[in-house]
Amino acid sequence: MSVIEAKSVSKIYNPDTIPVHAINDVSLTIEEGEFTAIVGPSGCGKTTLLNMIGGLDSVSEGHISVSGVNIADLNEAALTDFRLKNIGFVFQSYNLIPVLTAKENVEFVMLLQQSHQSAMDERADELLTKMGIKEVSQRRPAELSGGQQQRVAVARALASKPKFILADEPTANLDSHSTESLLDIMAKMNEEEKATFIFSTHDQRVIDKARRIITLEDGRIVSDEKK
Amino acid sequence: MILSLAWKNIWRSKKRSFVVIGAIIVGVWALVFMFAFYNSFIEAFSRNGVNHDYSHIQIHNPDYLIEPGLEFRLSEVEALEQSLNGSQSVKSWSGRQIVNGMLASPKTSLGVQIYGVVPDAEAQTTGLESQLLDGTYFSAIKRNPILISEKLADKLKVKVRSKVVITLQKLDREITAASFRVEGIFKSKSPRINESAAYVRLSDLQSLTAVTGLNEMAVYLNDSELILPVKDSLSAVTNDLVRTYREIAPEFDMMEQQSAMTKQIVTVIIMLALLFGIVNTMLMAVLERTKEIGMLRSIGMHKKSVFRMIILETCLMSLIAGPLGLFFGYLTNMWLETNGMDLSAYATALEEYGMDAIFYPSIENVTYPILMMVVIFTAFLGAVYPAIKAIKLDPLEAIRKL
Ligand SMILES: Nc1ncnc2c1ncn2[C@@H]1O[C@H](COP(=O)(O)OP(=O)(O)OP(=O)(O)O)[C@@H](O)[C@H]1O
Ligand SMILES: [Mg+2]
Repeated sequence: MSVIEAKSVSKIYNPDTIPVHAINDVSLTIEEGEFTAIVGPSGCGKTTLLNMIGGLDSVSEGHISVSGVNIADLNEAALTDFRLKNIGFVFQSYNLIPVLTAKENVEFVMLLQQSHQSAMDERADELLTKMGIKEVSQRRPAELSGGQQQRVAVARALASKPKFILADEPTANLDSHSTESLLDIMAKMNEEEKATFIFSTHDQRVIDKARRIITLEDGRIVSDEKK
Repeated sequence: MILSLAWKNIWRSKKRSFVVIGAIIVGVWALVFMFAFYNSFIEAFSRNGVNHDYSHIQIHNPDYLIEPGLEFRLSEVEALEQSLNGSQSVKSWSGRQIVNGMLASPKTSLGVQIYGVVPDAEAQTTGLESQLLDGTYFSAIKRNPILISEKLADKLKVKVRSKVVITLQKLDREITAASFRVEGIFKSKSPRINESAAYVRLSDLQSLTAVTGLNEMAVYLNDSELILPVKDSLSAVTNDLVRTYREIAPEFDMMEQQSAMTKQIVTVIIMLALLFGIVNTMLMAVLERTKEIGMLRSIGMHKKSVFRMIILETCLMSLIAGPLGLFFGYLTNMWLETNGMDLSAYATALEEYGMDAIFYPSIENVTYPILMMVVIFTAFLGAVYPAIKAIKLDPLEAIRKL
């Protein structure tokens, strides 16, 4: 079964005032283990599409199912639970919890899932090591570089082994060196952890690393190529 | 987990948290102090009332209450005397004949209540002797000595050894008069007595009125806990009316009720001020964290957990501040209980109300936990609105607002 199935999905903002057709009749399927980039010019609807897949925004038409569950059928609390158990999020501006250390940030989603402390410890150490940031695990986000913070964010997203990870322009705030190493690490996690990644980007170097590239224009898919 | 996050969140804006914590400390401290001060106020008032005026229990002819007059005397003095002298609970008692009359000096004359008393008994019961400012206590002047208050002495413009004349009406309505010599001038802690009482020997008054018998018996007990049992046992031996000082003088209960009400009002005012401060601060804390709260919701934190986190943050601050405020209040009271609070600058005004110039604030122990609960409740109330604001945030904010 596919991880994500979107069928004829549309999104219309402000339907009652000045309607904006952000996504028009998009259908796509994401399989387990994919490393997929959603690309396209600014305003083409990348963020909107990712938000709908992530259950953060509602679908105007069509439907999206994740592992066979139609996310439109879930109420507020069930949807929150659904995100907690199935989806890892990486944000453009890192969005770590400033009062927690890097390691505590990585453990946070597992904490919300009420995992055991020993299991969390082990998993966080494992991920921080793989990410190459073990030595800064006791620092707070403010004491980390942007690249390090984003690696912590990827580790946090991976920690509870979600079905897939959504990353909206994860490298937009990073310099080219950090961008490259973050992508390498994501690719490595894709291999080692069998983690499914879906990320949006403008950046050609990031696009080059993707194994599937879905191009949006004016809210429609104009090309979908696999490498 | 949420607890430890809430705890850490408190310290992210130290200055702001210290303001809230400081405000709670000051508020609680002020309340503890105010309570203690009020208590000592009430305590002094009733102590002076009991020790120097009403005693614990008084006995009257029931008709004396309707219209105080010489004719309404106690009917079973002997039975009462026996019962009082035989009781372990009674420290002392004083029998009095009381009559309204005129007290005249060469300068002027005044209407007064003349108390005929047995000097020793009166001294032991109301401490009259200890309140003398000038002169002696029924010892120096052989014929018709009288004690008057400083206030009366000023009005009559008399001094110790001055001569005054008492004029009164006997039971047969005939007017009679006798001259007395001022033996002592006192200042009672009871404003009522200062205003209008003059003391003479019981035997002198009885011969002037040509009436034996007493109008009043005042009973001072070893312990105020004994009031009700003694009242009951006295009521059993007489048809006269036996009343406690609270029954005689409603001002004691009134003072206490008024003080309880004032305490409540001040508590509510201080808590309201704290409440607004807390709402304001926590609202700021929530709005500053819009993006972070949105992120927490996005990655799967439930609304109820976010709500709990904000409530906990606030309640934790009150849990730090409350005990500190109580502790400072406690220290202040400890100090004042031993050292007293000197208000002699206001002595004249205080004496008008039967207070002492030096206060010894004290507080019931139960006040501390009650105040603590009030503070926690206030913090909780203050956190509710900001917490509702927090859970109404759209998780999308996290991704949108870069
Ligand atoms: N909340 C909203 N209300 C109304 N219109 C919106 C809203 N969010 C996005 N849009 C519009 O929907 C369209 C798609 O926006 P979206 O943010 O998905 O684009 P994007 O591809 O992520 O752009 P960028 O590369 O700049 O991030 C745009 O025309 C945008 O103006
Ligand atoms: Mg976008």
